[in-house]
Amino acid sequence: MNHNQQSGDAKNDDDSALSDFLASLMDYTPAIPDELVEHYLAKSGFQCPDVRLIRLVAVATQKFVAEVASDALQHCKARQAAVIKDKREKQQKDKHLILTMDDLSKSLLEYGVNVQHQDYFADDPSTGRDPASREE
Amino acid sequence: MNDGGLHNRKEQEKSQKQSKPSKFRSKSDDFALAIAKVAIAQVCESVGFQGSQHSALETLSDIIVRYIYSVGKTANFNANLAGRAEANVFDVIQGLEELGSGLGFAGGSDFDRCVANSVIARDIIHFIGDADDIPFAYDVPRFPLVKEWKEMESLWGKGEQPPGEHIPSWLPAFPDPDTYAARLSVGNETNSISSGEKTELARVERKMERSLLNLQQRFARNGNEGGSSNYGGYAGRARVASESNPYLAAPLHFGEKEVEVSPVVLPAKLSNEVALRNPVPENCDMGNRVSVLETFAPAIEGMTSGLCDLDNGQKKVVYNQSVHFKIGIGKKSFGTAPYFNSQNEDLEKIASWFRNDNEKDDKKRKAEKILKESIESSQKPTQL
Repeated sequence: MNHNQQSGDAKNDDDSALSDFLASLMDYTPAIPDELVEHYLAKSGFQCPDVRLIRLVAVATQKFVAEVASDALQHCKARQAAVIKDKREKQQKDKHLILTMDDLSKSLLEYGVNVQHQDYFADDPSTGRDPASREE
Repeated sequence: MNDGGLHNRKEQEKSQKQSKPSKFRSKSDDFALAIAKVAIAQVCESVGFQGSQHSALETLSDIIVRYIYSVGKTANFNANLAGRAEANVFDVIQGLEELGSGLGFAGGSDFDRCVANSVIARDIIHFIGDADDIPFAYDVPRFPLVKEWKEMESLWGKGEQPPGEHIPSWLPAFPDPDTYAARLSVGNETNSISSGEKTELARVERKMERSLLNLQQRFARNGNEGGSSNYGGYAGRARVASESNPYLAAPLHFGEKEVEVSPVVLPAKLSNEVALRNPVPENCDMGNRVSVLETFAPAIEGMTSGLCDLDNGQKKVVYNQSVHFKIGIGKKSFGTAPYFNSQNEDLEKIASWFRNDNEKDDKKRKAEKILKESIESSQKPTQL
């Protein structure tokens, strides 16, 4: 009985947390506009008159983008650090952090999305092979 | 090398998939994709990037669009699975969990986890708390635009009775009976060759007369009303536009055939005398129309009684009488048609008459060209 009561209380807490969360969603304006999200949700068949759900999807998407972008940033910074290590004379050669296809593909690979580009030319017998096998 | 072979085949398949146009890359989706690009660029900037490659931005925006689409699809599926048509927050959170399951999230393996207590929701709450508010750079209208259905176009909208029980009332209304009444009468007659030819001739003549009548009426009116005619519905709109811009001239009304003019037979001698009847200012074509009408009146009369050659359904009208062109030396520049000699004022008037003519045709334009070129070529020796 107690357990049930406790779980009931927990459920109520969860529900209230969720409703608070939905309420807080309306305060936050996501970077991805509502109209865009609505368009693609409508395309997929998602029907909901509630604006909060649209916001929820928008915020979740923004979070995804932020994660991917920050991973790519890590890769970019790591590469710049490696470059600086090799050539000490050129101090902070490139402060510009640019999102390149290379970094993006590496970070997206961790999320299960494969956007690796084929190499244009093969200058090495190991070109085109998996990166894991390439390190051999 | 077996592994290498497999790898190549997979990449080939992937590249084939990419080359097929996906629903997110179609032309109709350009606007949404562009907005997505802007939004994602803003997010990347907030993360710390100062720039990005075009291809990287496009790829990322494409992926994000697919992400939204798959969240919606999954949420809709979950809602349908629960027997609902509209999705609710639990469906969405479950969809997000499903998308995030590849990477894994805390508590994903729990069998008794509650959707309301989801880690995903908590992560999002944390994200909202930490991240700054990034308003979107542009004001986005609702899209795709839903065009209002013009109710007045249908028979039902116009309040007309459909002429026949087999015609539903939601179809658009019929055009003016004048435009197709002649054809109907032709269709009722017998199909013998001689009568067919006669009726064809009669029909064509009638059409010519009608179009000539329109021409005459148009010229007879004042310049303020110029451009308008009996063309059913187009008159008001075309009036102002056709006077100001030749490209906005109203199209031919349905059923009206253009008057096809063969190259005009020039008289043996072209008078180079300046014979300006009316000093006409640049924009006003009032006096011009009257003078042109007078000029062409004999020609028009000739046309109605003139020869009518039928050539595979087309008609050629040969002017019986010669047409006199007044060639003057003016100083006005002709903006719209660069090939016109700017020094010929009357030519301009005539050209403007052609320009404002609603029955303009390719052949007519060619005829003008030939005419102008011949006049210019004849003028050149005098100019030298």
